[in-house]
Amino acid sequence: MLPQTPAPSSPGPCGGADRGQRVLAAGLMRLLRLWRVYAYLDLLFVTRNLRSLLIYYTSDAVLAVAAVTATFLLAERFGSIGAWTRDQVLFMLGYAILVRAIPDLFFGYNVMHVSRRIGRGQFDHTLVQPLPVWLSLGAEGFMPFSGSGALVPALVLTLWAGARLSLPPSLPWLALLALNLAASVAIYLSFSFLWGSLAFWAPHAAEEISSSATAMLGALKPFPLDGVGPILAGSLLTLVPAGFVAWYPCRALLGLDPAPYGAAVTPVAAVGFALVTVVVFARGMRHYGRTGSQRYLPHGFRR
Amino acid sequence: MAALVRNATCHTAFAVELSGVWKRYRQRQRSGRLRDLVRNLLHPEVRTVEALRGVDLQVRHGEIVAYAGPNGAGKSTTIKLLCGLLSPDAGTVRALGMAPVRDRVRYVGRIGVVFGQRTELWWDHPIAASYEWKRVVWGVPRERYERMLGFVKELLGLDEFFQSLARELSLGQRMRADLGLALLHEPELLLLDEPTIGLDVLAKRTMLAAIKELNRTRGITVLVTSHDMEDLEQLAGRIVLIHRGRIAFDGPFDRLRREVADRRRLALVTAGGPAPVLSGAALLRSHDDRHEYVFDPQQVRLADLLAQASAQAEILDVETHRESIDDVVAGIYERWQRDGAAPAGAAARDSDPPNRD
Repeated sequence: MLPQTPAPSSPGPCGGADRGQRVLAAGLMRLLRLWRVYAYLDLLFVTRNLRSLLIYYTSDAVLAVAAVTATFLLAERFGSIGAWTRDQVLFMLGYAILVRAIPDLFFGYNVMHVSRRIGRGQFDHTLVQPLPVWLSLGAEGFMPFSGSGALVPALVLTLWAGARLSLPPSLPWLALLALNLAASVAIYLSFSFLWGSLAFWAPHAAEEISSSATAMLGALKPFPLDGVGPILAGSLLTLVPAGFVAWYPCRALLGLDPAPYGAAVTPVAAVGFALVTVVVFARGMRHYGRTGSQRYLPHGFRR
Repeated sequence: MAALVRNATCHTAFAVELSGVWKRYRQRQRSGRLRDLVRNLLHPEVRTVEALRGVDLQVRHGEIVAYAGPNGAGKSTTIKLLCGLLSPDAGTVRALGMAPVRDRVRYVGRIGVVFGQRTELWWDHPIAASYEWKRVVWGVPRERYERMLGFVKELLGLDEFFQSLARELSLGQRMRADLGLALLHEPELLLLDEPTIGLDVLAKRTMLAAIKELNRTRGITVLVTSHDMEDLEQLAGRIVLIHRGRIAFDGPFDRLRREVADRRRLALVTAGGPAPVLSGAALLRSHDDRHEYVFDPQQVRLADLLAQASAQAEILDVETHRESIDDVVAGIYERWQRDGAAPAGAAARDSDPPNRD
């Protein structure tokens, strides 16, 4: 006897889970369709003329490399920084650039610098789209062409350093690398959104706070923090989580962390930061619903 | 499927229903004096501004309603409430059978919004790219998109600049493109906030004709705000005047003229000398022997005025015309500013809002 296939409408014992999976799958499909149209718009933008195209990529790559040059030169001059060899420092720098390059790729058009959107009254444009806010913000900033300037040097540096360190490219290690990378990006974004939420309450004063917050992380991210005192190290893993952008996850991935579950710390921290950010941002949105935006500036929006 | 959902949510006779809506804002007050700096920092003075005070408004399906009022009267607040961008402090806002904030995702998929001072277009892209973006983000089925694209292109004359970058368009072209963008998903309710601001006469005429055509052929409900009363009178049969957060008038334009006093303008060109003094008419201005008066035809006959004028000066030319709707409304605004009174037909509510705290 053939097994009976349940009717689509029958709830069944796992009906809730099935429905959840279907909603998730539909959400992902929608996100992919949105990414496709944003990729198309971005391709049109970068190919508007050859000169702009070349300048765009060159300047992005130069900026990304320049941001970590000082640390690299220190490592090169002294052969190491603390317990970190020159090649380990190189790996960390490649990882640090990747953590900046990925948000550039997925959260452009000031989505990452969300305080600009909120402070300038441009959040209204997001709210008049028939999409949940998370989906709008997750899709709108996708810039695979104009936002990928830092990605290539980051990948080259990471792979080159990895090859020099003879890292084992085993599947579990690569999975840990991907997980930590995603967690570092999540912390980087959370920090930007957490501070950026202030713009809901102080749109003018906090318009640039997201960019200031990410600039602070960017300035501190390329340094191994092993030698700093516990209070400062704790601060750099909580209040200003620059340590999670590259130092702590790389320490775990390169085997420099004595803790057995070191590679899990950054992902756990990412969940914590993300939860706090979601709560604060949601409160900010409720406030926005009560007060709206009293100002509107068009610059930097869909440009 | 979309049609089924639409039918299921449109049982009410009204496309828009605002009931006892209150909206307050807090504004910081500063004296500007140096000695008050510390007090401003520690205990800032906050003033509560009541943008809407118990507004009741119903708009029927397929109606065009002009929503007007002086600066700060509460027009934009109402539009934002109806866009789902703001929630009311008290009262209820419903449109297309939904609560705009609570049902935002579903609701904004069925309305079109145009803000005259903003654009939804992608600045560095051709209009065609913005339209494709709209199709995907709004999830418009390809067949419906192609049909509506053809319709808006013809209605708004978009073909001539459809491949041009948004930033290279004139303001009139940009507004037409923005209106077309707002229509691609076949909205049932169109909210237009100052859609003709800054447009020249020709561009304005095109926009107004398109909106009227949309309403006539597709039955779209339109709520439009503008400071240009001539535009609004061309477009809508009904005008809602809002003043200090209250509906001060709601009815047809003709009734507004009648209730405010349907006054006439009289212009006399004389051979020289001072302006004739006319009993029953007020002199508005005199320039180069041209004298302009305003009078109420219910109170004094034109023939009597002309007889008075001829007795005092040699009349070379006479012009008379109905006071424009701009002048009518300007007169109302002036009166409101002077004594805070609302015109006849006022629908102001005196009750306080329910306390939400």
